[in-house]
Amino acid sequence: MLVIALCKGRFLSPSLDLLTRAGIRFPEDVASSRKLIFNSEDQGFRAVLVKPADVPTYVEYGAADIGIAGRDVILESGADVLQPLDLKFGYCKIAVAGANGISAGAPPNPSRPTIRVATKYPRITMDHYNARGIPVEIIPLSGSIELAPLIGLADRIVDLVETGRTLKDNGLEIVEVIAESSARLLINRAGYQTKRDEVLHLIQALERVIR
Amino acid sequence: MKSYAQTPPGTQIVIGQAARRRRVLERTICSVFEGWSYEEIIPPIFDYYDVFAKGMGTGPEEQIYRFIDREGNILALRPEFTSLVAKTVATRLASSPKPIRLYYSGEVLRFEKPKGGRQREFAQIGIEHYGGSKTADVEILLIAVETFQRLGVQAFQINLGSVDFFGGIVDRMELPPDQIAALKDVLNVKDQSGLEALLEHLPLGDRRKKILRAVPHLTGNKAVIAEARELVRNPRSVEALDHLEEIYSIFERLDLAQHLTIDLGEIRGFDYYSGILFRAYVRDLGFEVASGGRYDGLPAAFGEDLPAVGFSFSVDRLEQIVTPTLPIADVEAATIDVDKGFDKALQLRRSGKAVKLCL
Repeated sequence: MLVIALCKGRFLSPSLDLLTRAGIRFPEDVASSRKLIFNSEDQGFRAVLVKPADVPTYVEYGAADIGIAGRDVILESGADVLQPLDLKFGYCKIAVAGANGISAGAPPNPSRPTIRVATKYPRITMDHYNARGIPVEIIPLSGSIELAPLIGLADRIVDLVETGRTLKDNGLEIVEVIAESSARLLINRAGYQTKRDEVLHLIQALERVIR
Repeated sequence: MKSYAQTPPGTQIVIGQAARRRRVLERTICSVFEGWSYEEIIPPIFDYYDVFAKGMGTGPEEQIYRFIDREGNILALRPEFTSLVAKTVATRLASSPKPIRLYYSGEVLRFEKPKGGRQREFAQIGIEHYGGSKTADVEILLIAVETFQRLGVQAFQINLGSVDFFGGIVDRMELPPDQIAALKDVLNVKDQSGLEALLEHLPLGDRRKKILRAVPHLTGNKAVIAEARELVRNPRSVEALDHLEEIYSIFERLDLAQHLTIDLGEIRGFDYYSGILFRAYVRDLGFEVASGGRYDGLPAAFGEDLPAVGFSFSVDRLEQIVTPTLPIADVEAATIDVDKGFDKALQLRRSGKAVKLCL
């Protein structure tokens, strides 16, 4: 039996839909139930529901053999897992945004030599600015990131941008895109070797569905 | 004042039965190594930083614990054994008859996130084979197999690749180092869409792109080698395939091929690897328990050009799989009441019996 870690929240329904089309059916009530563990109808798979940011951890440790999570979450976690498939849903960008009318090169705040960046993605943000040699002070926040530049907490934000609507409504715009993100299939390195047939079978089934 | 109840992050204390189990595990593994004529080497716990920096290459060298002695030398706590052993073989043992077979067992230290039961200080136990022919690859793989069997682990899988297969492919492409690094990054995680995104910007012909697209999938049994032969013509890759095929055939003849997986997409590891490269996994443990490969260039870095191959087991990880089944003999100790004197205790000790004094 393979254990699949699935994200609670907006990824759950498209993940289940994808698995169903690949022939892996779970009881109907997965999305509405309070239970966290479900076996597939053929008993070949066990789904565990976890917070999106925790999916890479479950897979890296082998507590789950496979997982479905956004590329943003995988990059932020730094987890060492295989990522063979782009599952073609949950498209968004990880982007630097700031107040309207500020170009990427210009210092956002001339009175501060080190720019302040508010984000839910401290690791991605640090890697991005480190690679460019730009000193930054990272302000980790857990929600309503768009607020930070509006009330002077930060000069820039790094956040997920899906349609850009939230940014626009708050008078912000994308300064630069760090990475494109979409849902990915994650596989534990050891599981890929020791449960090879089951894992490859699943990859092939999913490949057929997303094509 | 700081509380001393807790040890610093990344360290651990092993006590009593757990310690006994660990020693039995180590002893069992060492006896396998000794059975293949490997001799123990006990290297120092610290050495000059340059020794390890040379061995580990850029990137992992950041994990080395460094300090400065009173004369101003930069020293380092050993983050691995291979550099230390290679240096010793290339210097003190330079005139010894070859091949040289050595094993080591001890703690190493790396400043990394504790993960999967491995702390910042963790135990490694492994072998090194210097100055032998290429067939030494088979020898060390067979020793790894016997170690698992002796420990009672049946569901283990050795994932075997070669640095030369991928090396031969990229040699011809003449890409700048940062693009090779980017390619390795996506291939290491078998990221197909990431690879496609990279290929769009690389100045490569269709044939070469086709080879790179195939690399993550070149994993499985002997058929993979045949599949790979259709793709490459450069001598370095072809030689690597010949060698892997030879190893696989020997494993088939020994009825051990079920434990071997060819993985030509396996290109991770320290900079010093130069030929075969392998990692061993055990069912139901999420992390590799052993890794190794060939590193012919390493002794040369210390002044003696010698072929070299070896591997190490992570004791802390192996322990999680093995200890429940490993037999630990309980020692029966006679209880002695010391009110009647110590004579009885000494008498029993002289005859080799265990005693426990009642004080």
